[in-house]
Amino acid sequence: MSLKAKSNTKMRIRAFPMTMDEKYVSNIWALLKNAIQEIQKKNNSGLSFEELYRNAYTMVLHKHGERLYTGLREVVTEHLVDKIRVDVLESLNNNFLQTLNSAWNDHQTSMVMIRDILMYMDRVYVQQNNVENVYNLGLILYRDLVVRHGCIRDHLRQTLLDMVARERRGEVVDRGAVKNACQMLMVLGIDSRAVYEEDFELPFLEQSAEFYRLESQKFLAENSASVYIKKVEARINEEAERATHYLDKSTEEPIVRVLEAELICKHMKTIVEMENSGVVHMLKNNKTDDLGCMYKLFIRVQEGLKTMCECVSGYLREQGKALVTEEEGGNKNAIQYIQDLLDLKDRFDHFLHESFNDDRLFKQTISGDFEYFLNLNNKSPEYLSLFIDDKLKKGVKGMSEQEVEVVLDKAMVLFRFLQEKDVFERYYKQHLAKRLLLNKSVSDDSEKNMISKLKTECGCQFTSKLEGMFKDMTVSNTTMEEFKNHIQTSGTSLHGVDLNVRVLTTGFWPTQSATPKCNVPTQPRNAFEAFRRFYLGKHSGRQLTLQPSLGSADLNASFYAPKKQDSGSSGPQVRKHILQVSSYQMVILMLFNTRENCSYEEIAQETDIPTRDLIRALQSLACGKPTQRVLSKEPKSKEIEPNDAFTVNDHFTSKLHRVKIQTVAAKGESEPERKETRSRVDEDRKHEIEAAIVRIMKSRKRRSHNLLVAEVTEQLKSRFLPSPVVIKKRIENLIEREYLARTPDDRKVYTYVA
Amino acid sequence: MPPRRKRKTTLVEEQTTIPKRSRKESSSRKKNAAYDPLREPFSNKRCQIWFQEYSSDEDGLGPEGMEKFCEDIGVEPENIVMLVIAWKLEAKQMGFFTLDEWLKGMTQLQVDSVIKIRAKLEFLRSLLNDPVLFKQIYRFAYDFARDKDQRSMDIETAKIMLSLLLGRQWVLFSSFHQFLEQSKYKVINKDQWCNILEFSRTINSDLSNYDEDGAWPVMLDEFVEWQRARALS
Repeated sequence: MSLKAKSNTKMRIRAFPMTMDEKYVSNIWALLKNAIQEIQKKNNSGLSFEELYRNAYTMVLHKHGERLYTGLREVVTEHLVDKIRVDVLESLNNNFLQTLNSAWNDHQTSMVMIRDILMYMDRVYVQQNNVENVYNLGLILYRDLVVRHGCIRDHLRQTLLDMVARERRGEVVDRGAVKNACQMLMVLGIDSRAVYEEDFELPFLEQSAEFYRLESQKFLAENSASVYIKKVEARINEEAERATHYLDKSTEEPIVRVLEAELICKHMKTIVEMENSGVVHMLKNNKTDDLGCMYKLFIRVQEGLKTMCECVSGYLREQGKALVTEEEGGNKNAIQYIQDLLDLKDRFDHFLHESFNDDRLFKQTISGDFEYFLNLNNKSPEYLSLFIDDKLKKGVKGMSEQEVEVVLDKAMVLFRFLQEKDVFERYYKQHLAKRLLLNKSVSDDSEKNMISKLKTECGCQFTSKLEGMFKDMTVSNTTMEEFKNHIQTSGTSLHGVDLNVRVLTTGFWPTQSATPKCNVPTQPRNAFEAFRRFYLGKHSGRQLTLQPSLGSADLNASFYAPKKQDSGSSGPQVRKHILQVSSYQMVILMLFNTRENCSYEEIAQETDIPTRDLIRALQSLACGKPTQRVLSKEPKSKEIEPNDAFTVNDHFTSKLHRVKIQTVAAKGESEPERKETRSRVDEDRKHEIEAAIVRIMKSRKRRSHNLLVAEVTEQLKSRFLPSPVVIKKRIENLIEREYLARTPDDRKVYTYVA
Repeated sequence: MPPRRKRKTTLVEEQTTIPKRSRKESSSRKKNAAYDPLREPFSNKRCQIWFQEYSSDEDGLGPEGMEKFCEDIGVEPENIVMLVIAWKLEAKQMGFFTLDEWLKGMTQLQVDSVIKIRAKLEFLRSLLNDPVLFKQIYRFAYDFARDKDQRSMDIETAKIMLSLLLGRQWVLFSSFHQFLEQSKYKVINKDQWCNILEFSRTINSDLSNYDEDGAWPVMLDEFVEWQRARALS
């Protein structure tokens, strides 16, 4: 700006006037060389920074950069080789690391100073000629001439490794020295860690691997699994800390991995399967903490958890199998059976949560195992239903409603594992029917609760019939109200019978294949007829059939013999009781109104009750406890024989006025009953499979055999698992009945026949 | 072929038995150049008259007539060529031909006398060699031979028919026959029947290419299992 204004004054920047001749250059160089050497000798205090800088600048400016650079290199090399290296070599057996380290520090310091004075060269010559800058040049020379000089290199490595090894053995070593050495190696790599890696890290990892290989074998031989694991954990921490503190931090990961490989990976199976201390032992003795430690350790390595999990699974399956196995035809106590399984589940849930951190792999494995052994015993569905039945019945002592809820939730977990859910449904229906009809439920709420749980699991189809049963009960109550009103208003006689009728919709309730016959005595029969007329008057087009197997009766009974104790009292006494009995028993007892004694044959003939039920009814009346023995039997055996004779037991006594006669009922089904249920289940399944096939083919129109089988299985799997052979048979049956046909061109493809 | 009720069934090799006298007849007739029964054009009337030689009542030819017919053409009733004839006639019931069936079929064959049909026997037999036609005849045999009151063919009839149709070509036939003997099957349904033919045509005699997922009827799955178990023991 000012230049342009004053155009008169000329200002020119002239080139530097001096020309450089050889002598001059040599002088400058000599000066600089001397200075560098002084710096290297730590005699820099007498030097003038400005002068040296200017001289260097001059040289580079006059295009003598190369000479300067080469000269620098020579000087540094000379110093390193003639002095430094010699010193280090001398100290090989005496203070080696310290010597090396102090030489290194000195070198670094002097190189910084040298760089400062040669900064112009760095900026100009170095850049233009693409050579290493001063500082890096110093590093390279130091590296190649000193650190990587044959025996120094080896000795350095050996010393460092020795120190680590000694520390591992428990000695105290000079960590600082090692740290310095490692830092030096890192810096010497310039922009990479190659020097550190090659000269130290790799040999270090190798040595460590070897060390731990030996140590692991020793440990394993001497220690139990849990102790071993703790030691491993300790060692890993130690090595990590070592890397952080005095090796380079980046070594932490590789060394830990080495440990994991040597200490864990190679011995996984041995640790897990160790006799008397491995996983099985820990599970048996509930060593939750030990398992947790093992889990935390094994999670570090690939396949570690899998190995553990396999062992856990094996043990669980064994335990489970033991619980579900029963001898042929043996009837295990259903409640105990399920309770044992629930306890087992609790145990393993505890392990899952406390030791395995709710790990998904373990969770899945445990579920898979339960599914496996629960379905080994095909009575599991029946037992589960009985268990739930027990919990929902009146008189389950000592459990609050919340506790019952918890137990039922756990039972639902088991339910999910069942493969044959349709078998469970059938039994549940049976048991529910009994509970409802005999008024044995704890509470309607618990029942409805249970049903809604099942609905969430299986959908409406499963529970619609159960809900229907409930509705029937409610509707029946209403009907009875109306009936009672009707009786009053119309003055119909019920022949002295206090009648209570429950109307069950067929189809909702489990019924026998055919309604069993029974000769109902006159009075109750007439009373029922009155109800029937009333009901059919309200709902025309319906049919009512009496189900004697499901009903009960209260009878007024008079016993005419004196009690055995009261022999002194005068006159016969009449003891009255109210007997609560089943309908069958009512029919039997009413026979004795007309005569003194009956033989079994006569009873069978007159009552027309099916044999098995007749025997059961008679057994409870005549062969039970004395407080239940309403009838006397000749001979006094436990079994009912065709020639037995029955009379009223006038010596019958009971403290209670109202006596409930228990029916001898088996907890589970007897074998023939079970077979019958099973065959009904199979029948139903056939229909369900056919329905599924028709449904699928109707929408698909054409389907190959394999795809059809797969789709059918998929659709039905929430209820049961159909076998491909059974499905094939159903397909063949449908072909025969012309619902399906094989396509003419490919016999493996079916079409829907409209 | 007459119904089973009348005759004991035996596996019969198919043979052409043209009794010698007919040869003489035809050769003597040939000398008479003016009249060659084989070259006579087809006459519906003659066909009908011919039918009446065998038919017992207005409509049909029954077991007795069938016997006579077989004798005339020189073929045993169990001979497979009878099945081919029945197929050509689209006969509904084994052992019976109705007039309609006779006329339609014989017209198609252009046959109105014993001589003409005897000349055609070779041709008819040769139809069995065509796989497509054989399949048709095989399928026809099912409906033809079964009891019309039932939907499926009873096992005894099935064994005989299978023996007739597959006995010679199918290597595994005797094994299959044994299998059926010891099995609980009382009937064979149409689907199984048709698949047996497919099986005999596509599956090797060592069952090496049998595909369990091949949508074969369960009966054949069981046969394979049975056969393989036998091979091991």
